Amino acid sequence: MKKLNLLLSILLVASMVLLGACSSKSSGNSDEKEITFMFRGGEDEKTAYTAAIKKFEEQHEGVKVKIINTDADQYSTKLSAAVSGGNVPDVFYLDSGSIANYVDNGIIRDITEDVEKADFDLNSLWQFGVDIYRYDGDTSGKGALYGLPKDVGPFALGYNKDMFEKAGIPIPDKDKAYTWDEFLKVSQDLTQDTDGDGEVDQWASGFNATWSLQSFAYSNGASFLNEAGDKVTVDTPEFAKSLQFFSDLSNKYNTTPNSSQAETLDTYQRWMNGELAFFPVGPWDMSTYAKLDFEYDLMPWPSGDAGKSVAYVGSLGLVVSEMTQYPELATELAIYLSADEEAQQTLLDAQVQIPNLVDMAEEWASDTESVPSNKQEFLDIVQDYGVPYPTFATYNSQWLDEFWTNITPVVQGKKTAEEYLKEIQPKMQKLLDEANEQAKMSK
Amino acid sequence: MASHRCLLLKGVKSMSGINPVVGTKDVKPKKPKKQKSSALYKQEHRVAFLFVLAPVIGFLLFSVYPFAYSIYASFTDWNGLNRMNFIGLDNFVKLFQDPYFYQTLYNTVFYMIGIPIGLGLALLLAIALNRGLRGTTFFRTVYYIPVISSLAAISIMWAWAYNGDFGLVNQVLEVFGIKGPNWLENKATVKPAIILMAVWKGLGYSMLLYLAAIQSVSKSFYEAADLDGANSYQKFLNITWPMVKPVTFFLVITNIIGGFQIFTEINIMTPTGGPEYSAASIVWYVWQKAFKYYQMGYGSAMSLILFVFIFIVTVIQFYLNRKSDYSLD
Repeated sequence: MKKLNLLLSILLVASMVLLGACSSKSSGNSDEKEITFMFRGGEDEKTAYTAAIKKFEEQHEGVKVKIINTDADQYSTKLSAAVSGGNVPDVFYLDSGSIANYVDNGIIRDITEDVEKADFDLNSLWQFGVDIYRYDGDTSGKGALYGLPKDVGPFALGYNKDMFEKAGIPIPDKDKAYTWDEFLKVSQDLTQDTDGDGEVDQWASGFNATWSLQSFAYSNGASFLNEAGDKVTVDTPEFAKSLQFFSDLSNKYNTTPNSSQAETLDTYQRWMNGELAFFPVGPWDMSTYAKLDFEYDLMPWPSGDAGKSVAYVGSLGLVVSEMTQYPELATELAIYLSADEEAQQTLLDAQVQIPNLVDMAEEWASDTESVPSNKQEFLDIVQDYGVPYPTFATYNSQWLDEFWTNITPVVQGKKTAEEYLKEIQPKMQKLLDEANEQAKMSK
Repeated sequence: MASHRCLLLKGVKSMSGINPVVGTKDVKPKKPKKQKSSALYKQEHRVAFLFVLAPVIGFLLFSVYPFAYSIYASFTDWNGLNRMNFIGLDNFVKLFQDPYFYQTLYNTVFYMIGIPIGLGLALLLAIALNRGLRGTTFFRTVYYIPVISSLAAISIMWAWAYNGDFGLVNQVLEVFGIKGPNWLENKATVKPAIILMAVWKGLGYSMLLYLAAIQSVSKSFYEAADLDGANSYQKFLNITWPMVKPVTFFLVITNIIGGFQIFTEINIMTPTGGPEYSAASIVWYVWQKAFKYYQMGYGSAMSLILFVFIFIVTVIQFYLNRKSDYSLD
């Protein structure tokens, strides 16, 4: 009997521990401080961060960093699970667009003071990359600091230099963007049947609307959203003109492969085969593009009526949990991961990102010998003409996804831009209103 | 996935089946009740109870508790990050006005066209393999390979095969002079494309079950039919088909339950739900709402509706099956 009672109570305790493990932090050894760092990324990031973390541990006695790495696809699901389970990692990656949400829900920590206290100059990082992690409880982009950039990802436009030379067309000016007319003219000249079999086998471009349309629209003075973030503004003539131009490149002027395909995989392959003149290039592409058979370089995006290039720039952040036991230490780790010179050098050597440190990036960009020679374009986007993704400051991305989900007929030339925008605006507005409503409720 | 679920069900059943066994044990020592030597028995009884407790706790913890939790969540505006506010039936009201809810439900049901096709093919294959021709083992293996392969890997592979420019499918079609579409980017072809893949993937499993069922049919039935001069079509219709009916029933149920939950293929092959949401399934939409758009409450409401659907369909099927002569056991 006694034995049994014992057994029963053991079982009871065991199940309680099992339950408890979900909510309580593993404290481990009492004199050893453990911080967890959750991230996603490839081999290069793992190598770079493992080294940086090792150095961090050496400098901080009795501190152990537990690394949790997941697949890129699984990351957001895993993070949501960790958050709803009350088991938030001390330091983790968070998309810049989710900052406001996580702040409103009290999940991430205001690190303004800790960063100030730390032996670290915030100005050594890109201002864009820092400001994007500010939030004043109302507007994103200003106020207290809630994160540091893990990277900044400027989305530049690349071109196939060899193709221009072969066609006898002067290469694009790196300081002066094409107007749309110029871009169209060059596009038409470059779309050719090079082997004379009667079929076109070389095209100008083949952009995926999701990542490129923003450049066309914004440089034409249009936008997806008003400043206040409460009105969808796609139903303007400027927007219609840009979307129509985007669609016409395929359907009217035939300067892109097969009009029925906007799927990037196809155009991506064609670009790599040297069949396309223009293609977007992000810093993470550099390692792959280093192996191309042709020389490529970067240029500003063509600009519409507003007369200025616009490019998309993304950023993934390092944030600190509000529930962490060691806030200062965690902040320091975030700083390390964001700004450690060696780690940044490793990532730079792997050609997967541009350095977060401005000085280092500028030194890197001053080397115009290696491909792409106009590396400065990346920096220009970050410092000058880059804009965050339209959903950056909204509660969720559903209103914009609605736009992409139904855009196919326009891209395929079966519907005019004006018609589409008129019909999609109210639907997007409804979803945006819903999102804003929800944002208010969760504050 | 479906088969796991079924094992689980069986597990629960056999669990409840333990009780009568314990009960009968209970009866035996009761006769010499006055012997009062039930100490040993009691002890054993308690140990048995512990063994039963383990799965019960697991079931409560990992099935009942999350289930109850999600029922509650469906009446709240929970965003998955923070506290829940009770909002009554708001989610359900919104749900029935949501065009994408109907669209994804329609898509999900549409995918089930693959079930009769798959079962028909599986039965045909099983009959063919049952003839005892040479190479049967080889083909059995060939057809079973997709079943044991990872669904994610298969989805990626088929996504390549369906690629408009370089895909295997279109290259083969081109040999016959047909210009294939960009399967997954085209509203009209994306669902058939996914159905084709699902049929291919599930074929081996159904085939194996059918094969086992066919082989267990007593030869004497066929001999008797031969004596009566039945042709092979009559033999199939009057012997084979009724004899494998329990298997058909089992497969239809598990396929429908699995069909309602189709997700991985969709998420990998059409990460944005396909052109104009033409490929999005209901579970995919639930996931999208809950984890991408921070509407966990709404997602929970949708999964609750999905649960009700599956439940009703299954009850109807069990009812229909009970009316027929053959049962699952």
